[in-house]
Amino acid sequence: MSPGPQIPDDIALAGEYVLGVLPLDARRAVERRMAEDAGFAALVAAWQADLAHLDEAYQPETPPEGVKARIDARLFAEPAKPAGGLWGSLVFWRGLAFAAVAVAASTGFFLADLRGPGGPATGPSLVAELGAPGSSVGLVAALDPATGVFSITPAAFSPDDGKSLELWLVPGEGAPVSLGLVPEDGSRLVLDPGLGDRLTAGALLAVSLEPLGGSPTGGPTGPVLLSGELDHK
Amino acid sequence: MTPSVRAQTFAAREPGRAPTRRTAELNAKGSRSARSCYGLPDIAEKPQPIMTQEELSELIARTALGDRKAFSSLYAATSAKLFGVSLRILKDRAQAEDAVQEVYVRIWRRAGSFRVGQASAMAWLVTIARNQAIDMIRARQPATLEYDDAPEMADPDPDPEARAALSGEARRIEACLGELETGKAAAVVDAYVEGLSYQELAEKYRVPLNTMRTWLRRSLLKLRECLNR
Repeated sequence: MSPGPQIPDDIALAGEYVLGVLPLDARRAVERRMAEDAGFAALVAAWQADLAHLDEAYQPETPPEGVKARIDARLFAEPAKPAGGLWGSLVFWRGLAFAAVAVAASTGFFLADLRGPGGPATGPSLVAELGAPGSSVGLVAALDPATGVFSITPAAFSPDDGKSLELWLVPGEGAPVSLGLVPEDGSRLVLDPGLGDRLTAGALLAVSLEPLGGSPTGGPTGPVLLSGELDHK
Repeated sequence: MTPSVRAQTFAAREPGRAPTRRTAELNAKGSRSARSCYGLPDIAEKPQPIMTQEELSELIARTALGDRKAFSSLYAATSAKLFGVSLRILKDRAQAEDAVQEVYVRIWRRAGSFRVGQASAMAWLVTIARNQAIDMIRARQPATLEYDDAPEMADPDPDPEARAALSGEARRIEACLGELETGKAAAVVDAYVEGLSYQELAEKYRVPLNTMRTWLRRSLLKLRECLNR
């Protein structure tokens, strides 16, 4: 608490702020004052502590299921707007490992790195960068058409416990086709034979949030979190 | 952010193409129907884990260090309460959803500013949720107070529910509210719990706006005097 005398006007103003009755401009003014005046900020904190007992009046209500996924997508799959192309945006990317993978993918070393020693030496010819609204990249999916193997690198997004991410082909016509679950550890997703022919440059891919083990219906049941087109790299 | 945000994923990349529309429809169906198809309990019935203030404080501290699992646990334990706060103040589910998203984005970013001892963990979280919801409703209201006589309203009765909901935990504030006249104490509780503006309070209690403000400020000074005793 402030050691100085408490001015009644300030006590009342701090209380009005905590109650919430003030108009927006007055609220902003009070917050500026709090930042500059520790004594006044203490008055606000005292009101918050005392009035917090009224919080019992708020009845809990579980928010809809998609809310947490949208929060995660905003926080963890949302690099800052690239200021100067790929390199300029790198410093904003949350995961350094992810950045390394994205750069590797864009320069063609992606699969060779993941394949490890002794693997076949063909490079990927199709790569999709799967993004969320307002951002550029969330996952990188690289397809080797020769083997029908997707290498998918979770970049800065992982689902809650008890959920899976499922990768879909969204054709121009007809229902989305499941390509399999997104591996959590950057390992490979092997396509069913026959799907490979449909995965050509320009094919639209999407990732949805599904119950653990994947969609129980065969079609996406949860929110689509990421999407992007396959393209030659 | 709006609930249609997922559809924008496609809209941004595939303007006007069929996948945009279809995927939006798929999303609009949501996951609820799938859950019920498979006999899973409705998500709204799933109880949230009850945690002590100490456990919540630790989750906030770990969140401040960038621990996403702690953040998810914190969300699981507290999102129902904070959604309840948002709904009560905004009185609109879609806006309350938007508010809760903003609230947890803020919690992630500001977790480092939480200090054990200054406030209980839940009180700190509720403060963030109340501030978000109140900012959202104030943003659609007049920016400044105008001291005109308030119009008569059909429903002048103060809502007794907020006071009835108080339990023994709140004895000090309740005792001090009890020293105020009934209507004036109810106005304080209405302002806090419902997030009513001075204009709305004046309408509810059928007094001019300036009278309402004088009442409330006097009530606050009396309350502070009592609380400091």
